[in-house]
Amino acid sequence: MSVELPKPTVYDPGDDVVEVVRGPDPGGAAGFYRAFGETLRGLKTTLGRLVEGPVTIQYPEEKTPVYPRFRGRHKLHKFEDSDLEKCVGCSLCAAACPADCIRVVATDNDPNDPTSAGERYAAVYEINMARCIFCGYCEVACPFDAITLGHDYELADYNRSDLIFTKEMLLAEPVERTPLRREGE
Amino acid sequence: MPEEKDMSGKSNVGESVDAGEENVTSSDSAVAVQVPSLSYESPFTVVDALPPGYSKRPAGEPERNVISFTIDGADVRAPEGIMLVDAAKYGGVEIPVFCYEPKLGAPVGACRMCLVEIEGIPKLQTACSTPVRDGMAVSTRSPRVIEAQNSVVEFILANHPLDCPVCDKGGECPLQDISYGWGRGKSRFAEPKRHFEKPVALSPSIAIDRERCILCYRCVRFSQEVSEDYQLVLLDRGADSHVGTFDGNEYVAPFSGNIIDLCPVGALTSRAYRFRARPWDIEQGGSVCSMCPGQCNVDYTVRDDKVMRVQARENAAVDDGWLCDRGRFAYQAWESDARITQPMIRQGEKLMPARWDHALEVAAAALKKSGPRTAALAGGGTTNEEGWLLRRLMLEALGSPHFDSRRGGKLDADVARTLTEPAVTLSVPDVEWADAIVVIGSELVDEMPILDLRVRKAVNRNGAALAVATARPSSLDDKASVTARMAPGRDDAFIQALLAALAGNDVGDLASRAGADAENISQIAGLLKNAKRPAVLWGERMLYASTGTASAKAICNLVAMLGLAATDGAGHLQIPVQANGRGLREVGVLPNLGPALSDSATQGMSSDEIADALGDELSAILLLGTDPILDSPDGARWDAALRAAPNVIAFSSWLDPATERHATVVFPAEVGPEKEGTLTHPDGRIQRLRQTVDHAGEVNSGWWVLDQLAARIGVDFGVKVVHQVTAQIAEGVSIYAGISSNEIGGTGVRWQERTAASNLPAPARSTFDLEIPPAAPQAAPGSSSLRFGTFRSLWSGADVENAATLAPLVTASRLELSPADGQRLGVATGDSVTLTNAAEGKTTAVVALRDAVPTGSAFLLDSQDDGLRRIAAGRPELVEVTP
Repeated sequence: MSVELPKPTVYDPGDDVVEVVRGPDPGGAAGFYRAFGETLRGLKTTLGRLVEGPVTIQYPEEKTPVYPRFRGRHKLHKFEDSDLEKCVGCSLCAAACPADCIRVVATDNDPNDPTSAGERYAAVYEINMARCIFCGYCEVACPFDAITLGHDYELADYNRSDLIFTKEMLLAEPVERTPLRREGE
Repeated sequence: MPEEKDMSGKSNVGESVDAGEENVTSSDSAVAVQVPSLSYESPFTVVDALPPGYSKRPAGEPERNVISFTIDGADVRAPEGIMLVDAAKYGGVEIPVFCYEPKLGAPVGACRMCLVEIEGIPKLQTACSTPVRDGMAVSTRSPRVIEAQNSVVEFILANHPLDCPVCDKGGECPLQDISYGWGRGKSRFAEPKRHFEKPVALSPSIAIDRERCILCYRCVRFSQEVSEDYQLVLLDRGADSHVGTFDGNEYVAPFSGNIIDLCPVGALTSRAYRFRARPWDIEQGGSVCSMCPGQCNVDYTVRDDKVMRVQARENAAVDDGWLCDRGRFAYQAWESDARITQPMIRQGEKLMPARWDHALEVAAAALKKSGPRTAALAGGGTTNEEGWLLRRLMLEALGSPHFDSRRGGKLDADVARTLTEPAVTLSVPDVEWADAIVVIGSELVDEMPILDLRVRKAVNRNGAALAVATARPSSLDDKASVTARMAPGRDDAFIQALLAALAGNDVGDLASRAGADAENISQIAGLLKNAKRPAVLWGERMLYASTGTASAKAICNLVAMLGLAATDGAGHLQIPVQANGRGLREVGVLPNLGPALSDSATQGMSSDEIADALGDELSAILLLGTDPILDSPDGARWDAALRAAPNVIAFSSWLDPATERHATVVFPAEVGPEKEGTLTHPDGRIQRLRQTVDHAGEVNSGWWVLDQLAARIGVDFGVKVVHQVTAQIAEGVSIYAGISSNEIGGTGVRWQERTAASNLPAPARSTFDLEIPPAAPQAAPGSSSLRFGTFRSLWSGADVENAATLAPLVTASRLELSPADGQRLGVATGDSVTLTNAAEGKTTAVVALRDAVPTGSAFLLDSQDDGLRRIAAGRPELVEVTP
C-alpha cells in the first residue's frame, strides 16, 4: 500500500522520497493479537488460578497455622501430677534475656503448702511482651523446663501496661487461638 | 576546649582511634592521636603493696625482704615468706583456692585446690601453705598440676548436689567459678550423693545446707580462731562430716554473719536474704555503717531501690573485712512499719502527719521565737555535715551556743586537745601491732565490736600482751594476761593507781579506792613498762560517770607518763559512746569549743546543763537523731526536762520515747544507705557515707532540713548539695583543711596523716593535778546491798528491735550477779528481784548469775524500761537486791 502524497508544488525531492512500510491497520485478527496477545498470555495464568479457589486468609476470622517450633507467647508449666509449679524462681531466664524483659522475685517455699517443687518459688514472674523479642533464650536457660514459648502470636493490646504478663497469666492454659501446621504441611 | 578537640579530629591523618579528651593538648603536634599501649601491666607488680585503707605500714609490723622467684616461667618479685597463693598474684597468676583465706590466720590446706608443682619437690604442694622462697620455680599449669586440679574439682563435686538454680550462691559462687576455670567439666561419679535434711536453721539469721558443704573449714576456723566463740565444730567423721554447733543449739554470736560471706559455696546462707535476689538482679553500693563507733565499711546490696543485704567491704585499716551482726542484719528495720517516713506535728496529745512546708514553718517559727533560748543535741549517727550546719543554725540563725554532741558535763579544752594530739592517737592497724594492749573501762564487743576482733588478732597472731581493766567482766578476759576488776564507776581511781604503780609508788590505798586488787595493777604497770609500743583503749563511757572529769585527766597523765607521743605505733584510742562522737567534736558541736577544738567565743551549756535549764532558761530543743531519754545515763531526768520544754523538734526515724512523748514537730530522719556525708572514725579517719537508695516515703536529708529551717529564719547557708557543706567544713575546720570527697575516696583518710593536722591548737598543759579519789562504796557485811553498775548491750536500739532476725536477741531486763551473791540472796538465774535504793526508789529486774562477776557487784542492763532507767539514772553506788 502506498501513501498518497500531496503533489510537490515547489520542491521535488526526487529519489529522496522514502516509502514508509507500516504494520497492519487496527482491526482484524492480527491486529487484535498484536494489541492483546501478551495480556491474554498473562490472563491465562490469572484465570488459571481462578479455578483453584481463593488463597487469602480471612484474618482474624481465619489464622495462619504456625510451625511446631514457632516462638510465640510464653507459657509457664506445672507438674501434671502434683500441680506444683515447675518454676523455682532461679532468675536464670532473666539473666539470659537479651531484651531484659523478665522480672523474677523469688521467695521461700512453704514446705507445708508448697507452690513449686523446690526450696524457692517465683512470687513475682513478669514478662514485658512489649519488649520481648521472642528469641527463646529463656526457654534455653531454664533448668526445669518451666518456661516454653507457645504458638500464640496475637499479643496486641491497647495499653502498654497490659502487655506485662504476670505469672497467673503465663500459668493459665492459654486459649489456643493459633492453629498448628500439621506434619509435613 | 571543644574547638581544640575538633581541630585534632580534622588534622587527624589516620583513622580516628579514640580521639579523646586525653589528646586534646597534643593537637599541635604532628601526630594528634596516640594509640593506647596494648602491653599488659599486671596490677600486682607493686611489691610493697599495702592492704586497702593503709597509707603506710604500721610501725610494729616487721619488714619483709623482697625475693624473686619464677612462676610459670615468669620472674616475679614478691615479699619473702608470704604464701605462694599470694606471691603468685604479684606475677598476675591466679591459683584457685577454697579454704585459704588470709583473714582467718594460718592456712590449713584442707581443700587441696591450690596444688602446684615446685621444682625440686617430688610431690605437688599446696600453694596456700607453702611460703615463697628466693629462687623457687613454681608451675601452676603443668600437666601434673592440671590433672590434680581437675581431679580435686571432680572430688569436691562428687558429693555436691549441683542445685545451682535453687542455690542462693549461684552466680557469685567460687565453686561455680573454679569448676568452670579449673575443672574437667564432667564427672565419673555415678553413685548416689550424700543426703542431709535441708535446709536447716543454724541460727535465726543463718541457714545451713549441709549437702552443699565442701568441708573447707572456713566457718569453723572463724568461730574457733577469729571471733573465738568456739561454737561451730565439724561433727561426725568421713562422708558424714558436717558443720554444726558443738551442743546442737543455735549459733548465736555477735559476729556470726561473717560465715555467710566466708562460705565459698551455698552451704551457709542468710535467712533474711535467701531467695530475695540473684547476683544479676542487684547493685552493690559502698558506704559506711553508722550504728557504732566502729564505722565498718559496708556494701549495700540493692534491688528495686531497697537494701536487700549488707556485706562487709574490706578496709584493712578499719574493719579488716569483718562486720558484726548488728551492722549486717539491722537493715531489716529500715523497711519496717515502725519507721517514721513523714513529718509530724503534735496536735493535742497526738502526733499528726503534716506537709513538709507546714512542718518546716511551724518548726522555724518555734525556733525563731525561742532564739537564743534554744538548745540542741546531736546524736551518734549525725554526719559531720549535719553537725556543721547544726552549729551554724544555732550560732548564726538563733544566736544560741547551747548545743552538744556529748552527754554529761563539758569537756575541758586542754584535756580534749591533749587526747586529740595526732602523736598520741592510735590508728586501728597500730592496735594490731602493739605489743601491749590495755583496755580500760570498755566492753569492746558491745561498744565497738569490730575492735574486739582486732585485739584478738593482735594477741593471737602478733603475740601482744593484753590487760583488761573493767568493772564488769569482759569477753576479752580469756585472752588477757592480766585481768583487773574495779568497783563500777571507779575508773579514775583505777587509772590513778596505775599511774602510781608506773611511777613506782605505793598503790595499796588507791587500789582499794578503786575497789581493785593492787597486785593486778602492778602487773598491768609492769606490762606497760616493758612494752615498746603500748596501746591504751579506753571507753568514753567512763567520762559520763560522776567521776568523769577526773578520769579524763587521769587518762591524759597516763598518756604523758607512758610517753605515747614519742613512740611511733604507740598511743591511745578513745572508744566514743556515739558513732560519730569524734567527728562531731572536731567540727565543733561542743558548747565550749569551736571547730578543730579551737577556743570558742561563746560558752554554751553542756547536755547536763541543758537538761536542767529546759523549761526555765531554755524554751526549745532540737534533737538531731538522738533520744536523750535512751542515750544518756540519766534518762529519767531528760524525760522530765523534755516534758518541761514547750518546743521539742526531733529528727528521728523511730517513735522513741522522746519523740513519742515530747516532740512537737518530728522530721523523719534518714537511715544508713539514704545518707550522704562524712563521718570521722575514732582513730581520726574521715570516711564517706554514700547514698545508695532513695529516701523512704517523704524522708528528706538532715542537712537539707537544717538549711530550710535556717532559710525560714532568715539565714542563707548557701548550700544546695551536701558536698557544699563538706567544702565548708574543709574551709572552716582547720584540721580538716582542704579535705574533699575525692581525697576521702573509698577507704577514707586519717586527718592526722595530712599536713593540716598541725593546725590543731596545742594544749596549754597536757598533765593535770589529780585529787585523791573518793573511796569505793562498801556494803555493810551481811547486808543485801551490792555495788551497782550498768552496761549497754550491742543488741539494743530501735534498729535492732525492728529487725526480724535480731529482735530475739534483745533482752528486756538483766541483772548480772555473781553465783556467790545469788546463793547468799537466795536467787537463781531467771528469778525476778527488786532493786531498792533509798534515794532513787525501787524497780524489778531479772537475775542472770554469771561466774565471772566479782562478788559484791551487780550490773544492770541499760534498757528501755522506765523503772530500770530511773534507778540507773540516779547512778546510785549501792543498791539493795531482794528476791
